[in-house]
Amino acid sequence: MKKNVIIIIITAVIFAAGAIGCLLVLMAPKSNTVSIKSGGREIYSIDLSAAEDCIFQIEFEGRMNTVEIKNHSIRVTEADCPDKICVNTAAITAGKSSAPIVCLPNRLVIEPANSSADGRTG
Amino acid sequence: MNLKRLSEMGLLTCISLIIFVVEMQIPLPVPIPGVKLGLANIVTVFAVYRYSPKEAALILLARIILGAIFSGNISALIFSLSGGLLCLGGMIFLRHFIDEKHIYLCSILGAVLHNLGQIIAAIFVTSTLSVLAYLPFLTVSGCIAGLFTGICAQITFNRIGENKK
Repeated sequence: MKKNVIIIIITAVIFAAGAIGCLLVLMAPKSNTVSIKSGGREIYSIDLSAAEDCIFQIEFEGRMNTVEIKNHSIRVTEADCPDKICVNTAAITAGKSSAPIVCLPNRLVIEPANSSADGRTG
Repeated sequence: MNLKRLSEMGLLTCISLIIFVVEMQIPLPVPIPGVKLGLANIVTVFAVYRYSPKEAALILLARIILGAIFSGNISALIFSLSGGLLCLGGMIFLRHFIDEKHIYLCSILGAVLHNLGQIIAAIFVTSTLSVLAYLPFLTVSGCIAGLFTGICAQITFNRIGENKK
């Protein structure tokens, strides 16, 4: 019986850590710059506060994502992947912190440039 | 492995595959990659407690590979495999510590491990660490989904256990 209590506590700690982690990600330092990575390599670095409205496409191994910059926020408007998770992810806006936009099938990552989980591996 | 056990396992694989295909049709309320109910895991949790580790692994692998083919989403196979195997390994290990009356605890930890495996695969696939930002969200969703699937597995296990005894 005592073992179960320990495991319940471990589970509660994991849940609490997850909840705190969510808050940390949402309150991460705000930035104006986003970096766009395709297949692990950074292909664009855009200052959203200065960027003009535009629409462009990013290709990876023949598959396309359409990215739109409008009113200093960036989002994916079209993707030919089956799940469309990247299209439904909230836009990243200049001066606001948000989670990265990821399209796993097309290996596309759009992230705030100086987020806490900054990747230097690419 | 006798014939009765083999057919039971075949039936379980089939059930989990059906659950998996039906679940694909349920739209997700949150646009975070990897968040899902994971209802097919009910069968995995149940199999871990009812069969040997080898048999549970066979059911899981058959479900993952057939599921990838049925969903037409082969590129997602690497995420299901890494998550599924880490989840299975963790639950087989935890089975020694968690008794049959607390299957749901095992399921919660298994679901969290499943999400961890997916994130590790995503780090390798995108070769960026930034996908780690999703880990806390996945952990919270994994706890909730794991609790739900765990309770389902618990109820199933209790009922089938009664009939067998």
